[in-house]
Amino acid sequence: MMNRIEEKMAALKQCGKKAFITYMTAGLPDLEKTKELVFAQEQAGIDVIELGIPFSDPVADGPVIQNASYESIQNGTTLVKVFSLMQEIRKSGSNVPIVFMMYYNTVFHYGIKDFAEQCASCGVDGLIIPDLPYEEQQELQEALNEKEGAPILIQLVSPVSKQRIPMILEHARGFVYCVSQMGVTGGSAQFHKNIREYLSEVKKAANIPVMMGFGIRTADDVKPLSDIIDGAVVGSHFINLLRKSNYDSGEVQKYIKEFKMQLNME
Amino acid sequence: MMQEKKDNRYYGGFGGQYVSESLMNVLNELEAAFEDAIKDPEFIKQYQYYLREYVGRETPLYYARNLSEKYGAKIYLKREDLNHTGAHKINNVIGQILLAKRMGKTKVIAETGAGQHGVATATGAALFNMECTVYMGAEDIERQKLNVFRMEMLGATVTPVTTGSATLKDATNEAIRTWAERAEDTFYIIGSAVGPHPYPKMVKEFQRIISTEAKRQILEKEGRLPDAVAACVGGGSNSIGMFADFIDEPSVRLIGVEAGGLGIETGMHASAMALGKIGTLHGMKTYLLQDDSGNIQLAHSISAGLDYPGVGPEHAYLRDSGRAEYVFVTDAEAMDALMELCREEGIIPAIESAHALAHVLKMAKEMDKDKIIIMCLSGRGDKDVHTVQKYLDGEETNK
Repeated sequence: MMNRIEEKMAALKQCGKKAFITYMTAGLPDLEKTKELVFAQEQAGIDVIELGIPFSDPVADGPVIQNASYESIQNGTTLVKVFSLMQEIRKSGSNVPIVFMMYYNTVFHYGIKDFAEQCASCGVDGLIIPDLPYEEQQELQEALNEKEGAPILIQLVSPVSKQRIPMILEHARGFVYCVSQMGVTGGSAQFHKNIREYLSEVKKAANIPVMMGFGIRTADDVKPLSDIIDGAVVGSHFINLLRKSNYDSGEVQKYIKEFKMQLNME
Repeated sequence: MMQEKKDNRYYGGFGGQYVSESLMNVLNELEAAFEDAIKDPEFIKQYQYYLREYVGRETPLYYARNLSEKYGAKIYLKREDLNHTGAHKINNVIGQILLAKRMGKTKVIAETGAGQHGVATATGAALFNMECTVYMGAEDIERQKLNVFRMEMLGATVTPVTTGSATLKDATNEAIRTWAERAEDTFYIIGSAVGPHPYPKMVKEFQRIISTEAKRQILEKEGRLPDAVAACVGGGSNSIGMFADFIDEPSVRLIGVEAGGLGIETGMHASAMALGKIGTLHGMKTYLLQDDSGNIQLAHSISAGLDYPGVGPEHAYLRDSGRAEYVFVTDAEAMDALMELCREEGIIPAIESAHALAHVLKMAKEMDKDKIIIMCLSGRGDKDVHTVQKYLDGEETNK
């Protein structure tokens, strides 16, 4: 079976479209709502969903996602419960690519081999682990390689990655996630001063789609860079929108459709 | 069980660099600058100059005659409490801040729990004219008002951290976040032997002076090596400094004393190694307090300086390899030892250091009179007088 992310990326490429990716913390406000929101987003045509596994010490996240994680943990969300949720989502026939955004301690604590197997059997398509840089990936990558249908470990690059880019991209699959600014998630749309130069460098080196995330709110924010990037990720702003609309599926769908349309406007 | 990594970023299977991609080049630059500096005689000369003229080294290796006669073995105290700012923390701050200057950084940031490392960093920043921001949990700010004021007197900005548990672990998270954003002009001075490589190594090298002096001093006084050295372990900076020059002396037992809080069985403790769960936090793989779903648990100790849910990766390695022994003592045992040192020797120790003493007194009873123990008296107790008073009055101090 082909990986859902790669399948989606290939389809987008064929019709010359850009990808829109959202992030939401699993279990916010509860897992039942998370499931509903996955379905609603899929219906609205979302390309990939990042599902945050809450962790007590989210050092790569700004206040919005920190608070979302904290609340979700207070609500009793655990990795084990999110695996069950994934099984339900896939059983209901949902085929949207889903990426877990999580911290390495959660993986390590679960057990690396078991984690790879569980991801494969629950239909998790990708992993974003912001505190697992290239140098520390070997152990997990080996476990993923050994398991048929295991998720892709999505590679992140930053504005200061520079000479590290070729190394990071060498075996990268799915898409590459370009962090738009230094620091944590949820800043303003003040991207790094060398953003264009940096993204161009990644784009030149990458043979997979280039996504940009951190600080993005509207399609307008990435308009000036639309000739280089293949898609955008919205996280903190999406959480704010969820909260403001009281997790209303209609509002979410409206936002996604609008963003996708504008993102793909010439 | 754990994969042995032949990698200078690791101590056995512990350590590494579990940080965001944005920080990898920063760490690589830091490592290169550090390796270059410690090989540069000019840098070493400068570091030693400030330790001598500003910090007041060397510190005495004091023979605690009254305690020794009462308990058995000969007890020597390495008097880090006599350093400027009252603890060993300044040794490391001087080293790191000189390195920061050498790298052309103009700002420093630090995390602090009880405020000792924050005060030491603010002191160094004042001395070297650097802009200084200290991250401190809102809970800790409330508990340590005087240290907050000290830092402000020294010209530092103290930024309250209200996320998570609003204590040291969260202050560290916030310092890491800020660092990831501003590494270009900002140096992160980590106060303990923790964090991503090369921090644990760097902190060890800048605290090594403790054992270098102690070894020379004991050879002068006794003509032989000690039978054991002991120190308290939170993140593990004074202990790794106390161990450093004795690690390759197999006849010397190395003993680290963690904070047992109200007792390991109560779950209210700060002994990361007692239960032996490995994980990753603050850039390193090490022993951590964590719950069943892999979230980091809060540490509990009467001593704010030991109140940390992890431990430095080299300690984790020294434990697993059997080279060092790690034990814990409870709040109550530490407080008894603290009062004992006040009354027997006229020294008010920090509550952190009193943990080491509590275990040393237990050991001394079981040892012959000619055996020698060196204990690192890592800090003085002035900062703790209020806590001691509350404890003796029977108030809740373990929060």
